[in-house]
This record gives sequence, structure tokens and C-alpha cells, in this order.
Amino acid sequence: MVKGFFRSIWTFLQHLLERILIAFWRRAAPIKVAEPGYSTVLADNLQMHMNLVMPLADQTAVGRARAAQAIAANIDELFTGLNNVGTVHFARFDLIGGNLCMYSVFDGDFRAYIRDFICVFGSVFDSLLGLVADPPPSPSALNPEAFIDWIHRHDSFQIPRDLTSLFPEEKNLENLSRDLVLLLDEKPNVQLGRFSGYPGVSVAQIRHGAGLGW
Amino acid sequence: MSNNLNFADVQGNILRGYGKQYVRHLVLTVANASAARRWLSEATSGDESAAPQITNAEPWTERRRTCVNVGITRDGLAAFGVPAASLNSFPHEFVAGMAARNTLLGDTGPSDPSKWKEEWKGDGVHLMISVYADDAQDRTATADRILAARGAFHLRAALDGDGFPGGVVHFGYRDSISQPQFYGVHDPDRRRDDQPFVEIGAMLLGHATPIENLRWEVPKPNVLGYNGCFNAFRVLEQQVVEFEAFLSECADALIKNPLSEVVLPPGEEAKWDPPMSRHAALREVVAAKMLGRWRNGVPLALSPITPSPQPAITDAGLNNYGYSSDPDGQRCPIGSHMRRSNPRDAKTVQRNTNHARRLVRRGIPYGPQYDPAHPVKAERGLLGSFMCASLTGQFEAIQYDWTNLGLQDPRITGSNDPILGNNDPLFSRFSFPVGDGMVKFRGFPHFVHTKGGAYLFQPSMSAIRHLATLSGGGTVNRR
Repeated sequence: MVKGFFRSIWTFLQHLLERILIAFWRRAAPIKVAEPGYSTVLADNLQMHMNLVMPLADQTAVGRARAAQAIAANIDELFTGLNNVGTVHFARFDLIGGNLCMYSVFDGDFRAYIRDFICVFGSVFDSLLGLVADPPPSPSALNPEAFIDWIHRHDSFQIPRDLTSLFPEEKNLENLSRDLVLLLDEKPNVQLGRFSGYPGVSVAQIRHGAGLGW
Repeated sequence: MSNNLNFADVQGNILRGYGKQYVRHLVLTVANASAARRWLSEATSGDESAAPQITNAEPWTERRRTCVNVGITRDGLAAFGVPAASLNSFPHEFVAGMAARNTLLGDTGPSDPSKWKEEWKGDGVHLMISVYADDAQDRTATADRILAARGAFHLRAALDGDGFPGGVVHFGYRDSISQPQFYGVHDPDRRRDDQPFVEIGAMLLGHATPIENLRWEVPKPNVLGYNGCFNAFRVLEQQVVEFEAFLSECADALIKNPLSEVVLPPGEEAKWDPPMSRHAALREVVAAKMLGRWRNGVPLALSPITPSPQPAITDAGLNNYGYSSDPDGQRCPIGSHMRRSNPRDAKTVQRNTNHARRLVRRGIPYGPQYDPAHPVKAERGLLGSFMCASLTGQFEAIQYDWTNLGLQDPRITGSNDPILGNNDPLFSRFSFPVGDGMVKFRGFPHFVHTKGGAYLFQPSMSAIRHLATLSGGGTVNRR
């Protein structure tokens, strides 16, 4: 018991020191993070990922059950809408802790995807966002840019394979670990990697090739 | 459907073209904010003796000799004294500026902003005043009066565009045939056709858009944003010598290909007006397949094997067609420039986008017209304005999704627009079906290089008067 007490004290001190160190780093050597951009390689602009993490306003079991019921009640409209967007490979809705999550893989420009998303099922999504803490302005169709910006803020940051490309102003590779700590301190939700079994192919090409219509 | 648009409040070059043959775009930095605001006030005062008046969209009772319009960048709005909170209510792509969006737009390699002309580099591009005239003297006189505005502006560049006879542009195509027609807007100069009318909110902020229930946000305050329009202005240098050489290479290959007898039945070229050799005719076939129209403007969708159909297609008919009866692109290739940038009624992957990304295009050539008898390499191209209510929802969506990625149809995904696209000879490809076969061309370069440009906001007349009442701003970024 005494051992456990000292371990707790040590962990507390360790976290406190980490917070102090991070605060010091942030002041002494602030990082500039490059947002993942567009690629000049055409195939790299297919099968893009969106990992939307939306904290629920009510994160109790009751609040989570309400979110689960809302998704179930609208699932047909959501799936029809996703099909009509035309550029979506996969999408799924998860409850992870107190967060309502939507993960999807789509082709092309993020903003075009979300805009098409608003056009075909924005009203359904608006009703779901009533459950979310700090929701975007509603309805999305009258606030499309604000809605897209909100989605972008709640989309997990995607860490590329090449860590150095994230920090274009970092000249010393030995600082990469520190830079990564600062980045993760700023962005709690990140995507660490992605794999595709058929890279560089659009959903319409897969559907066309498989004779599914597009 | 009609709208309650106040035409006197809208800049005149948005909803209709003036049909002027001489254009001068003055690329300017605000040198003195107070003087610049005074010019805005005078240019909207109704007093032509005070300053050339900014032209609004009211129908003309008589043709004007010159017209003037204004587009302002994000930095320009700041220079006029627009506060930061208001600037931040503009869409992020406008705030970022065209150069910052280069990868998305395909402005890489020879089109990279680091290779743009000096007048477009840095952050001193504040506004562009465009003068449209029926003759060169009027153009110069009006532009000189603007530049004499008591130290208001610093001239970065004066870009002249001179129209060519017959409305053709470099590469030899007749241009500006297809423009959106808007509900409630009467334009006597426009050809009427059966294309669907477009809601005015596709161009002007604060109005219903072609997408049901969707409206683009109006930047704040409302008086500044309402009835405004965005303009992606681009200086597009055209590699005419390379383009013509590519057509010859393609004709050399096509003439040996048995499919050429299907795409152009032997002897057909002799019936053309004017008749041509087989090789010259095949060059024209390739040029038409790349664009979607023959160089005289006749659309492949209506006339796939001759540019001179009988009976002749009237001017009104040149825009009166769709692609739904040509789903595989046997007549007009799916990857052609026109079909990519406006798929009309064709099936598209993004099912709600067919008529939702329309742009108004105002373009005029610059540089000497190419003479095939004397194929001299020279700087020539197009001064193009691409206008819309949402740069990201219309201009960038076309440029990125459709022109550079070919996302609208799985049969062209991963290929670039053959004319406008950011093509690399190592990877470029263009193909079109001929019966059960496919004609394919590879290894062509980037025929159009971006040499400058800016995202401009074309404020309403009320907004221009509002800008004239501001304070602050100041002398910034003088070169």
C-alpha cells in the first residue's frame, strides 16, 4: 500500500514535470506544423481518410444510448446519402468513450466531400449534431463554410509516414521527438498510418470494374 | 423562376459579357488608402467627369464605349481599411490567396507561383481594375484617367488583351460559346439554348444557389458581402507551337491506325469547308477530340465527323446539346476539356454536381496571334476571369476534382485534362473510343502554364461605396 502511494506520487510528479517541460518547450521553441496538403501525384488524392471525433454533450451511458438510437433511427438516410455522394468507399459510425465518431474513406478534395455530404444528407446530420458538445452553426446548408471548418477541426490529424515533412522549419533531426510531443499535446486525436489493398483506385473505378454500376 | 435582383447594385461584367475587343487589366497596389477610397467614391458617384464610372449590370439603352470593373484581393480589402474580423469572415481560400492553393489548382512545375511574373509575387497585389473598350484609344484614355487618381494606386502591371477576329483564342478555337444563363437575367446578346437556367446564387452571394437549400455564407458586414462575386483571375500562357506540333505527331500516328477510317471516313475531309488533306483533317480531329468542339466552335456532340455539317448549325445551336445520348464518349470524349469542365447532363460520380459548379468565364487573348505559316514562339496566352459565388465549391472543385483528377467518371480518373491539365510527358494520356477500339495518345506536355493570378472579390456597388467610407488601412507593400 505504501509502495502504491509512492508510485502515485511519483506518477503525479512525473506528469507535472512533463506539463512544465511541454509549457517550456512551447514558449522556447514553438513548432510550426505543416497541414497535410494535396499531392501532385494524382493517385495520392484518392482514398482519403476522414476520422471525425465529436465529443458528446452528454457522455453518460444515457447520453451514449441516445446517440446510438439517433444513429439507428437515421441509418438508412445516412447510408443512402453516402451512396449518393458518389465518392465514398467506406463509412462507419462508432461510439468510442464519450465521442460519436464517423470514419470514412473518400476520393478527392476534403472540402468538396463535405460539401457534397451537406447537399445530400446535411439535414440528417444536422439532427445528429444536436447531441454533440459545441456543435457547428445549423443548418449546415445555410452555413456550409462554417460547417466544413468545424468538421475539419474535429477530423483527427493525419501523421504522414515522413515525420520530418510535418515540421518544415525544423533543422535539427534530434528535435523531432520534442516536436512530436508538442504536436500531440495540441492534437489529441491523430491517425498514425493507413493501408490500402488497392492504392490509387477510386470507388467509382472499383464499382465500374466489378460491374456494380457507379 | 425570377429573382428580385437589383441590377444597379451588381458589377456589370458578372452576369453578361460586354463583347469588347480591347481589355486592360491594371494590377495595382493601394499607395494611399485615403486617395484610393476617394477614387472608389468618385467611380461610383455617377459623375463621369470625376472618374471613369464602375459599370453596373443595369440593361443598356445604348452601347457604352468603355466599361470599368473592380476586383479586390484580401490584402486589398485590408488596405482599404476592412477590419480583421470582417476579413476573417471571407472564405478561407480567398483569404489564403491563389498562390497558396497552387498544388490543388495544379500550379506546379512550370506553373509554380515561384515562376510567376513579378507583378503577381509577394503580397502587394491589392486590386485589379479592368477596362473594357471597343477601341484601343478609348482603353488607354480610360486606364490613364484611373492611374492619374492623385497617388491612389501604384501600378504593378498593365495587362492588355486584344480580341482576335471571330472570337478565337490561341490554339485556334472559337471561345466563349457556352456561358450559364441565369433565372431572371435578360441578356439580349446571349444565344438562347435548352441548357437549364442557373440560380443567380451561383454567382452572387446572398441568393439561392443551384444546390437545393444551400446558400453560401455572405462575408460580414452584409453590405460588404451581399451581391458580391469571387473572381479567380489567371494569366494562362499557352504553348501554341508545342500544341500544334503535338497535333501533327498525333495525326502522323492516327493516319497509320485503322481506326482513323472510322473516326474520319476516307474522303470525308474533301467535303469539309474548306476541304483539307487527310493529314491536316486528322490534326483537326485530334484538336476537336481534345477540346470537345471543332476549332470553329461546332460541338462534337452534334457533329462528330465534320466541322462543317449540312445544314449548318446556327449560333444558337452551338450550345444546344447534352452528353446523355453519348454515354461512352464516342462523339465527344469523356476526357475532353469541355466535357470535363461542364459535364452537362452526363452521368457523374458526384451525382449532385452536374449543374452546380457553373462558372462565368471572361477571357481574352494576349500576345501575338499564332501564324501557322510562320510558327514563331512568343509569349501568348489568355487573361481569364473565372467567376463564381464559391471559389472552393465551383472553381477549385472543377480544377481539382475534374480537370486534374478526372473524378467525375471512372474511365478518366487519374488522368489530366489534355489541354488545361498539369500534364507531365512521363504520365500524360488521352484516349477516346472509336467503335469497339480506343485511340490513345501519351507523352504530351503541359500546354498551358499559369504565369500569375489572384483570387479577387468583386464587391457590389453598395459595397464599393461602403469601402469608400472606411478609415485606416494605409500604404502597404509598395514595390
